[in-house]
Parts: sequence; structure tokens; C-alpha cells
Amino acid sequence: MGLPLFSAHGDPGPSFWHYADTVGLAPLAAVLHDEAPHATTVIAVRYDQGVVMVGDRQATGNYIASRDVRKIEPADRYTALAISGSAARGMELLKIAQLSFEHYEKMTDSALSLEGKANYLSPIIQRNNLSSPLLVLPLLAGWDESHLVGRIFEYDGAGGCYERFDFATIGSGSPFAEGALRLGFRSDLDREAALELGALALYEAGDNDPSTGGPDFVRNIFPMMITVSAEGFQEIAGPEVGGRFRLINERRTESRGVAGGSLR
Amino acid sequence: MSNYFYVSPEQLIKDRAEFAQKGIARGRSIVAAIYDSGVVLVAENPSASLNKISEVYDRIAFAGVGKYNEFDRLREAGIRWADSTGYTYSREDVDARALANYYAQHLGDMFTEGQKPLEVEILVAQLGNKLRPTKLYRVAYEGTISDEPRFAVLGGDAETIKDRFALSEDSLQSLTVTLQNASRALSGPDRVIPAEELEVGILEDRGNRRTFLRLSDEQVKELLS
Repeated sequence: MGLPLFSAHGDPGPSFWHYADTVGLAPLAAVLHDEAPHATTVIAVRYDQGVVMVGDRQATGNYIASRDVRKIEPADRYTALAISGSAARGMELLKIAQLSFEHYEKMTDSALSLEGKANYLSPIIQRNNLSSPLLVLPLLAGWDESHLVGRIFEYDGAGGCYERFDFATIGSGSPFAEGALRLGFRSDLDREAALELGALALYEAGDNDPSTGGPDFVRNIFPMMITVSAEGFQEIAGPEVGGRFRLINERRTESRGVAGGSLR
Repeated sequence: MSNYFYVSPEQLIKDRAEFAQKGIARGRSIVAAIYDSGVVLVAENPSASLNKISEVYDRIAFAGVGKYNEFDRLREAGIRWADSTGYTYSREDVDARALANYYAQHLGDMFTEGQKPLEVEILVAQLGNKLRPTKLYRVAYEGTISDEPRFAVLGGDAETIKDRFALSEDSLQSLTVTLQNASRALSGPDRVIPAEELEVGILEDRGNRRTFLRLSDEQVKELLS
């Protein structure tokens, strides 16, 4: 690969994806039938100073392929990107997103806006999902530096991008997580309350959906919990996450599996 | 039939070199230097937005002097090359020497075959780690590539500035001392360049993957005071 120089009219600009497309690196355009392990439940909840995200760790094919997958990654300092659907395509999308945001920043000496990052992914998802049976559906959440709020963007299979002002879920465990979130969400959640609600919603999904991995007390593997706020992307440490899930589990054991009353 | 006048290759090269040198001499100079914990690039640049110094990759920075549109295009090509190499292989496979070589080849081609030589000089800096050494590669308008041991000067005034950039000690200096030294070398004895007109970027390990940092006017002022 030589020096990628372009004439002014053929220049792909600061977009890595368009550049990759121009030179035939062509990411996210394969058609391949494959029983790849797919990812499962991720939740994003807005709170007064940012966004909380919780994601399970299990990759499921015909059996459990992995118990410690990271489905939420920082796309950059202020943006978290979570994936559901085909693991292979999801990882590729993550890589492209991380690379593209950084590429744009280096090319133009300014970071993309959060909305710009969210919109950027739309055609990439569209291209992948309409050309490949290996669907990928991401969830993007971040701290909007220009408006000083946490924001959540979800996508449909055709690449449509929608902002959610309360919470959003992706993956097969969504209906169960969504139920818990709908009952527990308030518009004035603080960080602590949002973390608690997010953990509970994921516990519900893990409890009901066979391809969502709940807390694994045997192996000490717990769902990922992160926040994105003015301080940037921060992952909650393993022992704290474990403590939160142990607490929920104890309550649930006491009530013999009945969720009622333990929501708040 | 049109008349072709014979021009000796020596004359042709001389003319082209003179043309490129003249273009480069019109712009202001850049000093890049290795200090005790990183690399600092200092450009005299009255514009706060038309940059001469840029991040290229995790441990690689770019600096260019001469015609802005020409070196900026090379800067963009460098970022594209680095990002696509890291995407195809691995982040640790992106090497400044390879990039400097591509620049050298391109500048060499343009010098001999292009409509006109590019009126630029390029610097590719790499912050070392256990895989690679800290390096300053200077690429001249005609494609000559040189590996500068401690510091490099780019631009029309390079020789004068080089003499002024005093390497007083054998050991590497702190960022503060190195920046002050660079600023003095750029300005000369008769004037002081205000901090707002210095563009400063560093490569330094701060615990992050990306080591490039553009210093703000305030930071530069504080380091120079």
C-alpha cells in the first residue's frame, strides 16, 4: 500500500469508512451464512449527569460460546458503543467506529459531535444489514460536550437512528429489561439510582432470556457496567458490580424469586 | 516542427531545486527536538487554525513547512496510511520509518517527474517504546530522507536556526528547557515570538494509547515564562 493521495475531486475527506470503501478495504459488506455466536442484552439509562450502560457477557451460538465477552466498548473518550447481533460483525463495527471517530479528529483537528457520530453509523449498519444475514444492531450512548447532557441513540435493522430520551435496550433479552426499566425509570435519576435500575433490568433479562448471561456467581463473572459523563467513559470495577448483583440476588432469594416490591 | 532546446540534467535539477527552495524559504520554520521524556515540535505559525503540526498515529506526529496545501495533503495521506495499516494489521505495526519512506518516494517522484517539485519539507517524529526507538525523520523537497539524532530544523532558515539551537548538554533536557531553546532558536536574538504565534505539539507517554498533545497558548506561555 503506497501513500494514499487523491486529487481534489476524488478525495474521500475525513471519513475513514468512505476512504476504506474507495480503496477496497471495504469493511462490513460480506455475505456469509454462518451460525456465528451472537450477543445479547445491553441497556442504556439516562441520568442527570450522563448515561449508564449495562451489558451481559455471554456469547451464544448453539451452545454458550463465551462467558466473558465485552459488548460495550469506548468508541472514544466520551462515547460508548454496545453491540448485539452477530459478534463478528459487531466487533468489526466497533473497530470501524473507533477508527473513524479518531480518524476524523486527526484529519480535521476537531472531534465529531455526538449526533455526528450517531448519524455516521447509520449507513454502515444499513449496508451491513441489507447485504448480510449477519445482522448487527448497536447502541450508542455518550456525553454531548456541546450541550452538556448524556444522550442515547438506538438503531433499527435498516440503519435508522433514533434518539431516546429515557432509556434503550438491545438484544434478545430486551423485552424483560424493558419491562423493568419502564417501571423503574424516573426523569430525575441520579448516577446511583441509574446504576441500580440498570443492574436490576439486566438481572431480569438474564433471569428470563436463555441467551443473556446474568451474573455468574460460580465464575465470578458479572455484567459490564459503565458510565459516560463529563469525566468520560468509566467502567465500574468488578467487585462493585459483583456487590450490586449479589444484593439483588439476595433479595430475590428471600422473596423466593418474586420480583414484586424489590424494584426500588 | 517545434524547437526543443537541450537542457542538461544538471541544469534541470538545479532549476527545480532552486524553485523548491525559494518556495520553502517563503514560509516560517519548525524545530523538532527530543527531550527527556518525549518529542516536542515547535512551529512559528501566526494562524491558530491552519496547523503545521499534526497527530498521525498513537506514537507518530507530522510537521510540514512550505506551501500549506501541499504539505496538508501529505499530512492527510499520512493519517490515512497509518489508520489503514493499523486496521489491516495491528496498531503496533504502524512504523514512522515506513511512512517517512513513502513521503521520500513521493517527494522524489514529484521532484523528477512532476509538473513542478513540491515546495515542502516534512518531518515525521516517532516516540519510542520497547518495540521502536524515538526518531526524527526529515524528508526534503527532493526526497532526501535523513534520520536526525537529537533535533531537526525545517524551513528556509534551517542552517541559521540549527546553529542557534544550542545543544549545551550531552544529556536530554526537560520539556521546558527544550521548548525555550527551540523558541529562542526560531526567533533569533532580535525579537521574541509571542506564545500565541507558536504552535507546539508533543509526543509523550501519559498512560494513554494516543501520545500526541497539542499545547494550548496558556500552556506554552507558562512553559516559556
